[in-house]
Amino acid sequence: MDLIIQQSINAISLGGVYAMLALGLAIVFSIVGLINFAHGDIMTFGGYGIFLSLAFGMSPVAALAIGIGAAVVMALTLERTAFRAMRGADVVTLLITSFAVSEILKVLFQNTISARPVPISFPAAWSGTYEIGGATIGVVPTVSIIVAFVSLLGLTLILRRTATGMAMRAAAEDLEMLKLLGVRANRVVAMAFALSGLLAGIAAVIWTAQRGSVDPMMGFFPVLKAFIATVLGGLGSLGGAVLGGFVIGVLEVLTQAFLPDGLSPYRDAIVLALVIAALLWRPDGLLPAQNANRS
Amino acid sequence: MGDANLLTFPARLRAANLVRTLVCLVVLAVAVAVLTLVFGRSGERIAVQMCVNVAAVVALGVFCGNTGIVSFGHGAFMAIGAYLSGILTMPAGIQRTSLPDLPAFLAGHELSLWTALPVVALTGLVFAAISGTAIARLMGASAAIASLGLLIITHGVAVGAREITRGSQTFFGVPRVVDLSLAFGAAVVFILLARAYRESPAGLFARAARDDDAAAAALGINPRRTRFVSWCLSGAMCTVAGALYGHMLGAFSPASFYLSLVFAHVAMMIVGGMASVGGAVTGVIGITLLQDGVRQFEGGVEVFGVALPEVFGLTTVSLGLAILLVIWLRPTGLVGRFELGPGAGARIFERISRETSPARAPARVSEEILEAEQLSKSFAGVKAVDHMTFAAPTGRVTGLIGPNGAGKSTLVNLITRQYHADGGKTLLSGRDLSTVSAENVARAGISRSFQNLRLFQGLTVYENVLVSALAAGHRGAQAAAVALRELRAFDLGDLAATRADALSYGARKRLEIARAIAQEPVILLLDEPAAGMNPAETDDLADRLMQIRDERGIGILLIDHDLHFVNRLSGWTVVMHRGTLIAEGAPDEVRADPAVIEAYIGRGRTAAAITRTTKEETLPQQGVRP
Repeated sequence: MDLIIQQSINAISLGGVYAMLALGLAIVFSIVGLINFAHGDIMTFGGYGIFLSLAFGMSPVAALAIGIGAAVVMALTLERTAFRAMRGADVVTLLITSFAVSEILKVLFQNTISARPVPISFPAAWSGTYEIGGATIGVVPTVSIIVAFVSLLGLTLILRRTATGMAMRAAAEDLEMLKLLGVRANRVVAMAFALSGLLAGIAAVIWTAQRGSVDPMMGFFPVLKAFIATVLGGLGSLGGAVLGGFVIGVLEVLTQAFLPDGLSPYRDAIVLALVIAALLWRPDGLLPAQNANRS
Repeated sequence: MGDANLLTFPARLRAANLVRTLVCLVVLAVAVAVLTLVFGRSGERIAVQMCVNVAAVVALGVFCGNTGIVSFGHGAFMAIGAYLSGILTMPAGIQRTSLPDLPAFLAGHELSLWTALPVVALTGLVFAAISGTAIARLMGASAAIASLGLLIITHGVAVGAREITRGSQTFFGVPRVVDLSLAFGAAVVFILLARAYRESPAGLFARAARDDDAAAAALGINPRRTRFVSWCLSGAMCTVAGALYGHMLGAFSPASFYLSLVFAHVAMMIVGGMASVGGAVTGVIGITLLQDGVRQFEGGVEVFGVALPEVFGLTTVSLGLAILLVIWLRPTGLVGRFELGPGAGARIFERISRETSPARAPARVSEEILEAEQLSKSFAGVKAVDHMTFAAPTGRVTGLIGPNGAGKSTLVNLITRQYHADGGKTLLSGRDLSTVSAENVARAGISRSFQNLRLFQGLTVYENVLVSALAAGHRGAQAAAVALRELRAFDLGDLAATRADALSYGARKRLEIARAIAQEPVILLLDEPAAGMNPAETDDLADRLMQIRDERGIGILLIDHDLHFVNRLSGWTVVMHRGTLIAEGAPDEVRADPAVIEAYIGRGRTAAAITRTTKEETLPQQGVRP
């Protein structure tokens, strides 16, 4: 019983990270058609933000804020320097652009900071545990679940209830038309990147709190999973991205917990194979994006 | 370019294709010759690597170029090829020490490379067929990411399967048998294969589906199958390229086939130009030279007395920058949209003056009838088409009119199975078409044009029509002759070698109809063919359509808002309003029907008043829709 509670907490907390990353990818994709390979590097940059502020002797809370801020700044910088010039290009071109940007950023991280993991030490109290009904549950996974849900809820409110959110949803339908209506498209796109950076920053905080170190590839692997999550959910669908993120997180924890030892090296392969099998059954994803395409 | 001559001498098109293949080979041969002659041994080493990369990237391009989907999954195929070929060819002694737990069926074969390669290619083909069933279902970015998933899966398995691959440790003892002649020979064979596939009917179908999925399906092409076939061929070729790569390295690990290799190969393809084989070759040569040049500086070097520091990953940065620069400055790659080499109208082909035998005049079609019975379709509660029943026989132009939003285009989409009806059925001379796929509707003899133009933008005018003739079952020279006949019928001969996206609006409209006609359909569905045309163009179109009806006896279902145009052509008019049939009959009768007038103009003005004020005028013409 307690094993089940522990594993579900782990599953939801990992799923929450994937969901936030996938949602960040989906927001940007739905508006400018960019599948952002550099999203992982935005997350990594957030991690280095935390590392550097701690190294300069800041308080842990300030360091977290700076880490999140660093991710937002990085997202906005990439939008302004690399992706704005490419606006309107087709999906493949944009994807390759971000692929190139991502490779360059990784080399920059390797050369300016370190190719090896650098440690991040948070106060010991943060990594404590507490007990519910005999089950030992970590503080970090619990906090990360709360943070993930609050972020997802907050984002939903922004998209549904504010004028900016409405402009972003309109931009996802037709960016050109929005320009003709006099809405500043650049601001809307920048806002989308800022939000995706914010989510990546929060993900970086959770990730570093759990792993205790940052390396140039830190963001890359979770974002790979988040890519798969966006496709599983339905590319361009925000709800689908969140759902896909949770599904992959849960699958990963389940396979880790219940797979026989002989198969454990194949964990990632099995999870991905399951996802691809799901795509055979629903090629447009679990919650397909609505798009009216008249012939 | 003297495109008009192509109509008389189509052999020049074939000659141009041959020359383009030759250009690819010559470019590669020159690069290899310069490297080996100028830089000696080290140049030869680079040339071998370059040729193996050409094979891999050309194989990658067989899928990516023809389907427009970037694949990251071919690293998986290369890994399979390298490991399998390595195990099959490895000396038994080395194998016993390095892979003691190898399953018995793989152990101790000691094959030569030439006997191993067919096994490798076949394994690659089987793996491609299995993975292709999933990936061919996806399109665009989803497919790209799924292929990335395939790469991660294969990498995970390669690391996990220690007894076969030594896990993440180095796999060694693979005979290093790839020399320059073998690598160059492989590159040449791969270029020939890729070029042949690109220009073959299968390759042409894939490129048509790449440019417009729905339009390809409406011609009877199964887009999913074109992606599957391209994936399988590309996968099998990549597996062989991977085997060669392995035999070049001699020792490797799963990381050798992971993201950095895939990144390098995708970069080569994009830099050169994804759409062509020449692009792949050019990209590999360019990037290889760039990387080997930059590598000199990676370990830190002194330039003009200034010592530059050691920079780790400089080659990666240079690759990234090369991609960014090419995408910013020349989005279609160095080579661009066409293959390298002269076009068919170039002067060197002027000697070729063999004319083709012109296609026979189109035969009259047998008598058939298209019937819709009680067809219905709702979108989120709105009844777009509500129990529509009507018929369109051969030999007659049936006009389908109605105000905007009446459900006319939806009706066409129901007949062609672009949409699936909620109820009712479509029959062609009694044969039920309401359960078959869109491709099979086309094969049954119903072809269509689209309200919003759906041309294959990346193909030439000639290829657009040729695809249609090939999809309808014509073969080789006969398909070419049919395509040329329809181009002539719609006055597009001068534009035969022009890309479709470079045409004027009126020419695009005509090309869509020529493409539909090249299927030699029984029933032709034209969705607003005259929209956006000026009166002279509309008259011209009407003349051409009447000629087609009279010569071939086909049935035409004509939707348009230009009622002069519809009335001039149709022998029977069907009027739709809010998804239902409100009138049908001879054009004159329908014109006077009060229900029709009310539908167009609204309540409050009687039919009598209308006829009195407009006298000879037909119904007020609606504004031309963009």
